[in-house]
Amino acid sequence: MTRVGIMSFAHMHAFAYADCLRRLPDAELSAVWDDDADRGNEAAKQFETSFIEDQATFLNSGLDAVIITSENVKHRAMVEAAASAGLSILCEKPIATTIDDAKAMIAACNDAGVGLGTAFPCRYIPSMMDVKKRIDAGELGTIYACACTNNGQFPGGWFADQSLAGGGATMDHTVHIADALRWLLGQEFTKVYCENGNLLREGINTDDVGSLHLEMTGGTMVSHVASWNRAASFPTWGDVTMEIIGEKGVLAVDAFNQKIDVYSDEVVKTEWAYWGDDCNFGLIADFVDAVKNKQPPTVSGLDGLRALEVTTAAYASARSHQSVPIELS
Amino acid sequence: MSTQMNIAIIGCGMMGELHAASASEAGFRIAVCASQPAEAAEVLAKKFDAEAVADPMAALRRDDIDAVCIATPTPTHADYVVAAAEAGKHIFCEKPLGRTLEQCDQAISAAEENGVKLYVGHVVRYFHEFEAIRAQIDAGKVGKVGFVKTYRGGISPMGASGWFRDAKQSGGATLDLLIHDLDWLRYTFGDPERVFSQNLAGKTSLPIDYVLATLRFSSGVIAQSIGTWAHPAGFRVKAEVCGSGGMIQYDSHDAPISVMPRETESGPSMIVPASPVNESPYTREWRDFAKWLKGESKPKVTPEDAKWAVRIALGAIDSAESGQPVTF
Repeated sequence: MTRVGIMSFAHMHAFAYADCLRRLPDAELSAVWDDDADRGNEAAKQFETSFIEDQATFLNSGLDAVIITSENVKHRAMVEAAASAGLSILCEKPIATTIDDAKAMIAACNDAGVGLGTAFPCRYIPSMMDVKKRIDAGELGTIYACACTNNGQFPGGWFADQSLAGGGATMDHTVHIADALRWLLGQEFTKVYCENGNLLREGINTDDVGSLHLEMTGGTMVSHVASWNRAASFPTWGDVTMEIIGEKGVLAVDAFNQKIDVYSDEVVKTEWAYWGDDCNFGLIADFVDAVKNKQPPTVSGLDGLRALEVTTAAYASARSHQSVPIELS
Repeated sequence: MSTQMNIAIIGCGMMGELHAASASEAGFRIAVCASQPAEAAEVLAKKFDAEAVADPMAALRRDDIDAVCIATPTPTHADYVVAAAEAGKHIFCEKPLGRTLEQCDQAISAAEENGVKLYVGHVVRYFHEFEAIRAQIDAGKVGKVGFVKTYRGGISPMGASGWFRDAKQSGGATLDLLIHDLDWLRYTFGDPERVFSQNLAGKTSLPIDYVLATLRFSSGVIAQSIGTWAHPAGFRVKAEVCGSGGMIQYDSHDAPISVMPRETESGPSMIVPASPVNESPYTREWRDFAKWLKGESKPKVTPEDAKWAVRIALGAIDSAESGQPVTF
């Protein structure tokens, strides 16, 4: 039995990950820690596990691994503490809010000899895995261009607070696509141009939509929309889409487009009910497997850093209105 | 009593044929068709009981012609506009107005100096679905617009001697295809401040183009526009408008009719969608042109609009070359 603890329920994915742990026969959610004790207690009750208020006690309570789902700026301290306690770690994306933090986290885990994974569930969506199979099999030939989107509804709360999130929609919704393209194409990003802004919602201090243009080492040109532009009345939370222009053909993927349209007179707005496989479950199952087999997580801390390098450069570009090279640490 | 106006169709390819039909619908008479070589003009002229000639310059100078429709390859537009203007003819010119800004200026000056009306066929302004999007925005359905996304295109067109595929002539998908959306975006959201673009023209071994562009408007709105001449088949238009209070989405794949012929040139599996309307957007623009000629109203598209559209498209092309944004 792999014993996993969750640190902080600030990020809504903590609830999904907790549920995944309970569905896995060879893992358990052994304990919850949260710097918001009320929130942590509520979550522990909901998932029928213990809440441990003291972080050191939590980290030394016999866990094998932790999942960190705090506000972005708090990732580093929790990762370093968990690494010191010899625990494997799955960290929510973005891995950190600064490149220095990400590098320190990777180093801390290396020094402690513990695995560090970044939570990029797109790699576990069956449709995306199908796209990778086709690309790897040469079905599209050389990939010339890719037009992507990761749109979403406004997440609210600390997500739109620069001091806790470290960035807005551009950060929140570029990292998934940056990682997915690195994984699909086996290329690194070389430069980025970004236009972004707080254009859709008042009273927040982060951007809520960004339009990006990137290039990759293999010559592939990329466009991306990173947004919180989905209306509250939109039938679903958002999307992950790519149009891939290849030498041998064109592939369009709408990764979560496995849904039924539901019209409930009680709800009044149309809902798209997703019936596809749960990518979060794939992610957590794979992480638990890595911990069990004492292997490094499939999606690494370095993958998290590479995605962060893209968003950091994107923000620099948005400020300077120039295309910015992406330096790989 | 209003007399019917006579049109000379200069350039009898796909657009020349479409404009001949639309102009007729709008009440014009097709008097002469001209193309080099003359075969295309002969075929078109038969359909409209018109004369066919091999000399476009002679056609546009004829006494019986009131207005000239220019539907030739882009780099020739300005020359024909100037010639028609000097002959005292009103002009309906296909987009883009010119291949360069200098050509646009020549065309506009010639029309002004000769006191003739110059209309440029930025037809997307007349498409029902795009007018519907504007109406919903104007009605406040999405609140304050912040972000827009457009998508247009499909198979890479050929044109006479494959001129579309020669970016030096056509300006690639940016100047020939994306310009529709660049113009509509400016029409709807005001003048842009910057454009950044990437494109595939001439960068692969295939005769394809694929354009990715972002516009930043002075109002703050961000628009991302994609144009494709990189698909193996078909044609699709999509638009999305996101605001503080909601969203609008349009997809041309949502069409009332879908036909699957058993045998087509492209093979048995091609689905042909159709979205019929009583008055086509092309007829609408010819009616707008007609009302302007009769002095009843100003047209939806001015020569300055047409020049701006070229300016944005050329800015995008320059941006793709330099790897940096172009500021207007």
